[in-house]
Amino acid sequence: MSDGALTTTSNVTFGAALMLYLAAAVVSFHYLAYRRPGSLGVGRAVALIGLATHAISVVTRGLAAGRVPWGNMYEYASVLGLLIVGAYLLVIERVWRTEAVRGFAIGAAVLAMAGAIMFYVPPGPLVPALNSYWLRIHVVLAVLASALFILGAVFTVLYLVQERRERRSTPALVTEREPALVGAAGERPEDYATDQAEEARAPARARSRLPVAAELDRMAYRTIVFAFPIWTMAVIAGAIWAEQAWGRYWGWDPKEVWSFVTWVAFAGYLHARATVGWRGRRAAVLALVGFGALVFNLVVVNTVIAGLHSYA
Amino acid sequence: MASTSEALYRPLASVLRTLRSMRTALILLLVVGAASVAGSLVPQAPTAPAAVADLFATRPLLARVYRALGLFDVYGSWWFTLTYVLLLISLASCLVPRTRALVRGMRARPQPVRDLNGLRHFAEAVVPAAPEAVLARSRSVLRRRRFRVAATDPGLAAEKGGAREWGSLLFHWSLFLILVGAVYGKGFGLRGVATIVEGETWTEAHASYDLPPEEGRFFTERMHTGLQARLEDFDATYYPDGLPRDFVSRVEVTGADGGPSTPSEIRVNQPLSVEGLKLFQQGYGWAPVIEVRHQGRLVASGPVVFVTDTPNDQRRPWRGVIKLPSLEPQIGLAFRLLPDPLAGLAGAPMLEVRDPFLTWRAWRGDLRLTAAQSVFTLDTTGLEPWLDGGLGLGQTAELPGGIEITFRDLREYTQLLVKRDPGTGLMLVAAILLLAGLVPALASSRRRVWVRAVGADGAGTRLQVGGFALQRRAAFAEEFDDLARELSRVER
Repeated sequence: MSDGALTTTSNVTFGAALMLYLAAAVVSFHYLAYRRPGSLGVGRAVALIGLATHAISVVTRGLAAGRVPWGNMYEYASVLGLLIVGAYLLVIERVWRTEAVRGFAIGAAVLAMAGAIMFYVPPGPLVPALNSYWLRIHVVLAVLASALFILGAVFTVLYLVQERRERRSTPALVTEREPALVGAAGERPEDYATDQAEEARAPARARSRLPVAAELDRMAYRTIVFAFPIWTMAVIAGAIWAEQAWGRYWGWDPKEVWSFVTWVAFAGYLHARATVGWRGRRAAVLALVGFGALVFNLVVVNTVIAGLHSYA
Repeated sequence: MASTSEALYRPLASVLRTLRSMRTALILLLVVGAASVAGSLVPQAPTAPAAVADLFATRPLLARVYRALGLFDVYGSWWFTLTYVLLLISLASCLVPRTRALVRGMRARPQPVRDLNGLRHFAEAVVPAAPEAVLARSRSVLRRRRFRVAATDPGLAAEKGGAREWGSLLFHWSLFLILVGAVYGKGFGLRGVATIVEGETWTEAHASYDLPPEEGRFFTERMHTGLQARLEDFDATYYPDGLPRDFVSRVEVTGADGGPSTPSEIRVNQPLSVEGLKLFQQGYGWAPVIEVRHQGRLVASGPVVFVTDTPNDQRRPWRGVIKLPSLEPQIGLAFRLLPDPLAGLAGAPMLEVRDPFLTWRAWRGDLRLTAAQSVFTLDTTGLEPWLDGGLGLGQTAELPGGIEITFRDLREYTQLLVKRDPGTGLMLVAAILLLAGLVPALASSRRRVWVRAVGADGAGTRLQVGGFALQRRAAFAEEFDDLARELSRVER
């Protein structure tokens, strides 16, 4: 195929994938609203077809440009959407059986792809500074971790909504008690609050189709715990690349600053989970701060603030 | 005396106690994060002096507030340094006791528990075997499940997931190392830009950089290497649409000891490491060789470094100046270079040398060399335009008063970023260790299990198993049931 045909294929499949995701999200919300178990399977099938179509779009884009398909913002946002849906459908939903949140996860990918459209550029080669194999490693790690952080943020928001709902329906039982634990002093389970909350809030379960708050909290935590080392690796790979390309591993470039802020916020989140009085809602807020820094880094730093990453 | 030292010691101890808490370390880390946000939103004097000056011109009040708060140089401000140092102290004072506890804990045996029934998970069974046999089997089952097992008085105590603690400590010590390495590397570091014209040799020394190099606080004059780099050739290649593809500087490097020289290539993303220095391809440009004679006497000769105001747009001409303060009146020559005039006139980027053309304009009057000024521009306040013209390669222009300008040759120059950072290797090692600690710290979960076996009234043994998990507790319920079932199964 010629480059032109590949580009057209990539663009058409991108649009098709976006439509399929939208349809899958609508079906999923329909399930949430009316509880038709039959629509679950349909929604998953539509989403999987969308995922395959999207993968074709990304691959043909790479072939058309003759390089890895994550060299500018359009491509980055597209791969981000692909990984959000992929990680959710192929891993999270399979492992945790959480069909009810599918619409929200896919909705996040739809937003990423809508953003991609705003930054569309035709496929082309890379400027010299971007032409390094560290680019492939650094960006692929960053986009994977971002996808997982975004999923973690989706679960966190749902947790906050659900937690509020449960707290309202069982007002007497929500005060967090100190864990009575056997073991050395200072050892406290990180998911203690949620464990207790789960027992206390069982009655609220029946009224919502979403997973209980404790389950959502656990999902958010596990997703973020998985993403954090990947993000750390992305920052390190970026530092190694910066050392080669710009002659310093760290220069407080705006992109670096906001990656660092994201890292600090999620590190704070992980610590907060192990700190009495910071679990639950407060930790969730830290996770959302991290998410905010991530999105700021992706959108505002690339478009508004001038820095070495401005071309990305 | 004793009372004085006590009066000093008490507040010091309480400060130390505050610093030792994880919360303090976290808050300090968040402050570093918040400060860096400020640094990304407010223009920074070291990297963007023009933006700072602009802010002073447009919003003087805001600019004065920023300056008072040290926000124009966040990363070099005293309060950033203070927070950084406090973070280091806090981190270390968190980690030292935890490390000691870990080392002690490795030697200590797991503690017995009096009442297994009170644990979160508990199972009980009567097994038709002798207590010793049950315990021996339990020990091997637990070992196979990668528990650390110790005998306690009436049974066994087992635990696993120790990787969580040592991984966490490795991670945090590596973070400490990174914070130290950054300071060390910067303190003994050097950073400057060198311009070398093709065919010329540059010697590494404080005075030979374009601008005075940034030298770290502990950097001394003796740390300059004196190495020599001769630029043999510079090459820029472009994609058909004019976007840059690659830049290569071919240099011949000779050590300060005058040893044999080695040819090397420096490209974007491919720095050259030599004698503790790293040389990076940073920029390039044109350097026409121009000779100026005054009544037959050579008053200026050699390559003149030209600059461009639009580095990403090669359609514009490059510019450079020659200042002749020895003439009376003083004369300044401002040049514009078109490396490929045909392309330039057609509005296409000038990427190759094809009949290069130099336009000149001569100014007469006072060059005002007593005031600070750029070598790339003329200060025309004291000058008046005199004559202008154009020159092809090899041509000479004759001006009144016996002044001759000759365009001898057209060369390229390269601009190299020269850097010394002795902390880089340490940083890389620390970063690898950080990851090596982070993954087990987050992935492993701690579990504790106790087993007790006492002779039952009949022939068998009463087996009790209790345990709890500190992480991933939901998953442990299943693990524990499985373990208890396996322990109470008896082989005949």
